Amino acid sequence: MDEGSPRTPVIEMRGVSKRFGSTQALEGVSLELYGGEIHALLGENGAGKSTLIKVMTGVVQPDAGEVRIDGAVASIGSALDAQRLGIAAIYQEPMIFPDLSVAENVFISHRDRGRFVHRRQMQADARKVLARLGVRLELDQPARGLTLAEQQTLEIAKALSLDVRVLIMDEPTASLSAHEVRRLFRIVHALREAGVAVLFISHRMEEVFEIADRVTVLRDGRRIRTAPRGEVTTASAIRDMVGRTMDDFFHRTPASPGEVVLQVKDLARETAFSGISFDLRAGEVLGFAGLVGARRTDVGLALFGIAPAQAGQVALDGRPVTIRSPQDALRLGIAYTTEDRHALGLVLPMSVAANISLPSLARYLGPLGLVRFSDEAATARRYRDRLRIRTSSIQAPAEALSGGNQQKVVLSKWLNTRPRVLILDEPTRGIDVGAKADVHQMIDELAREGMAIILISSDLPEVVAMSDRVLVMREGRQMGILDRSQATQERILAAAMGQDERPGPPDAATAAGTLGGVAS
Amino acid sequence: MASEPAAPVASRDRGAAMGLLARLRSWEGLLLGLLVLIVLWNATSVSGYLDPRNQINLLTLSQEKIIVVLAMAFVIIGGEIDLSVASVMALAAVLIASLYEGGTPMELAVLIALGAGLLAGLNNAFWVAVVGLPSLAVTLAGLIGYRGLARLFIEDRSIGGFPGWFTAITRDAVLGPLSLSLLLFLVLLVVAAVLLHLTGFGRTVYVVGNSRDVARFSGVRVTRLKAALFVMSGFIAALGGVLIASRLGAVRGSTAEGFELDIITIVLFGGVSIFGGRGTMIGVILSIFVILNLRNGLALANLTGNTQLGVIGLLLILSVLVPNLIATARGRLERRAGDRGAGTGQGPDPRRADSISGTASG
Repeated sequence: MDEGSPRTPVIEMRGVSKRFGSTQALEGVSLELYGGEIHALLGENGAGKSTLIKVMTGVVQPDAGEVRIDGAVASIGSALDAQRLGIAAIYQEPMIFPDLSVAENVFISHRDRGRFVHRRQMQADARKVLARLGVRLELDQPARGLTLAEQQTLEIAKALSLDVRVLIMDEPTASLSAHEVRRLFRIVHALREAGVAVLFISHRMEEVFEIADRVTVLRDGRRIRTAPRGEVTTASAIRDMVGRTMDDFFHRTPASPGEVVLQVKDLARETAFSGISFDLRAGEVLGFAGLVGARRTDVGLALFGIAPAQAGQVALDGRPVTIRSPQDALRLGIAYTTEDRHALGLVLPMSVAANISLPSLARYLGPLGLVRFSDEAATARRYRDRLRIRTSSIQAPAEALSGGNQQKVVLSKWLNTRPRVLILDEPTRGIDVGAKADVHQMIDELAREGMAIILISSDLPEVVAMSDRVLVMREGRQMGILDRSQATQERILAAAMGQDERPGPPDAATAAGTLGGVAS
Repeated sequence: MASEPAAPVASRDRGAAMGLLARLRSWEGLLLGLLVLIVLWNATSVSGYLDPRNQINLLTLSQEKIIVVLAMAFVIIGGEIDLSVASVMALAAVLIASLYEGGTPMELAVLIALGAGLLAGLNNAFWVAVVGLPSLAVTLAGLIGYRGLARLFIEDRSIGGFPGWFTAITRDAVLGPLSLSLLLFLVLLVVAAVLLHLTGFGRTVYVVGNSRDVARFSGVRVTRLKAALFVMSGFIAALGGVLIASRLGAVRGSTAEGFELDIITIVLFGGVSIFGGRGTMIGVILSIFVILNLRNGLALANLTGNTQLGVIGLLLILSVLVPNLIATARGRLERRAGDRGAGTGQGPDPRRADSISGTASG
């Protein structure tokens, strides 16, 4: 493409760093986007893609480094600044106002159109913008009735109406059908023709190779490589993405798993996942790996009865069971720790002790349903000591604890139900290194005691280090189960991106070919 | 932190709800101070105000309201609201009156009225807990519907002439200066405080009020709990209806009209969060006394009913506003601290841990 041309990039980041607590989200990342370029950004979960987007859109302020627009240093202090500079982002889930009309949605961000709404003028302008995208939408229709793909188009139109120069597309194709993806790509190409710089983020390799002019890979908050599409292969990209440092990872005590505890066969839930089958043995840790949108959590929620499966069989100790509610799961000895501690895991204003006893409260009730506070406190102290929960008191509200200690309270709460099967959903996300090590040690101990554990984690090194076997999911389907010996980061990631199964659909390949011809 | 000596046994009586108490201690302290102030003020203008019989008299005149306050506290802490209570009170009172007038024995009429309260509560429970409609809308419909039903029975008449034993329930002192109904209120008050703060049921009310989702993800039967709250509310409201019929000795279609607002006001002013999950029985009790004495004082100062309403409305706004402003300010401070890199945090936040150990050791 225009490599080496003296053109100034529309937006350029130089040495951008950002730290959240103990996590270095970005470290000296530099990235240049040129007008009329489609630039793909690759990286596994937590590589820093989201933070980079947030820096570009003014949501997050970098600790170090600078952002240049047209070669001049710019400060993007807010979303409004980003809008003024012509930077816009669209996400997997479009952010539209369902009760406003299509035309009103297009101009929702405009602040310079005077005090009153000029309906006719707005309609005409909206029509113009949509025509540029080559799409037709009923302007008076409320946005509520639009399909997801149409809503996305609407978001792009919204960006265009603001004279967008940099358009960030974060997993825009994740929920689209093949046909809708084609239409979206036509729009993206139109944007490129119009000189817009497009930053395209997708976990679908074939899409990246079809549409991108250049590819940048991030890993651990660092830029690993930027190269023209022609110089990148799927294999080389995956190699760049994995290989995260395995620092300080816990090493599992080797153990031989016991009897099969949980048998799952062809489990399915409409629009979420299908064909999930696995055996889980006592004392075994089965990792669930996959990229964002792989629907691993949905499988966990199905087994816990929050969003029950609609098809397939589940057997516990060889006996078929049905799990229609969390109460069913609890009775059967299945526990699930949620990835969202704050919204789903803890009653934040309540004490540590009350949180721990919550799912097993019936055990702490005496005559007349009175809570036996001393028993409850004794249990809480036991878990505080065992899991090293750092809290001023077991009567302190859960919200006073740090993330890692909150996570330990969540773990305690479920361990205290004495489960046979423990489903851990992202148990170490967002917690500090020390707490993380404690959680890993806990998992190892529990497995040695014979608990059957499902470990859903987006942290690849963690999955590899902690699991006996790894089940890889991609977009709601099971891509395979890898034994400990096969479960390398590269193989897991390749499976999670669908690379083991098919090298890319033929239509995508031909499309890429023709486009390549036009582009060169 | 971890070196904290094994928590003293005293912590036994400090459950989760008690932990909340520590947080709200300032609000309850405020109420107590306010109460003392109002009582003293009234005492300076009226001699004999401090006579305990005066307080009992105040309670007697509002007994049907304050008994419903107890149930309303559970409903609001559970994250819901029941606007239909006053209409259920009217329905129960009207049923008693018209059944008795039609020849039904009074005892049976009372039982039927209480049963009607249960049914009204079940109806609310079905739409809120099972169907999942907002309680504000469902019980607003109840407010209109049950009142309409009551008016259908009684039309524009006033029915009285109840048997002596029935009116005696609320009028005749049986134990010292206390009537049977006031004794019942005191018993229910203790039951409510124990139920809310010391039982598994009460614990679950707080959990559901704080977060339905956390409750669901913890295996709590949210539907059943919410249903229980509305059935309880309906039943107690019917009991309130029985009491008002007894105390007034006559029932009309407009009986207990507007009481729901007084009842909810008392609960909220007692420090119960309108968003659910927070509040204590102690606060609610204090609030009962503050509001009754305040009203009494305003009446003694010859202020009209409208002025009284205005003053109480102002207090209510303050009671909702002040805790929210504090929470907002605190949230903003924390977010600012969070931006400085405490996002994921290492170790407990010393600032908060200290303040908590400070109150916990007290």
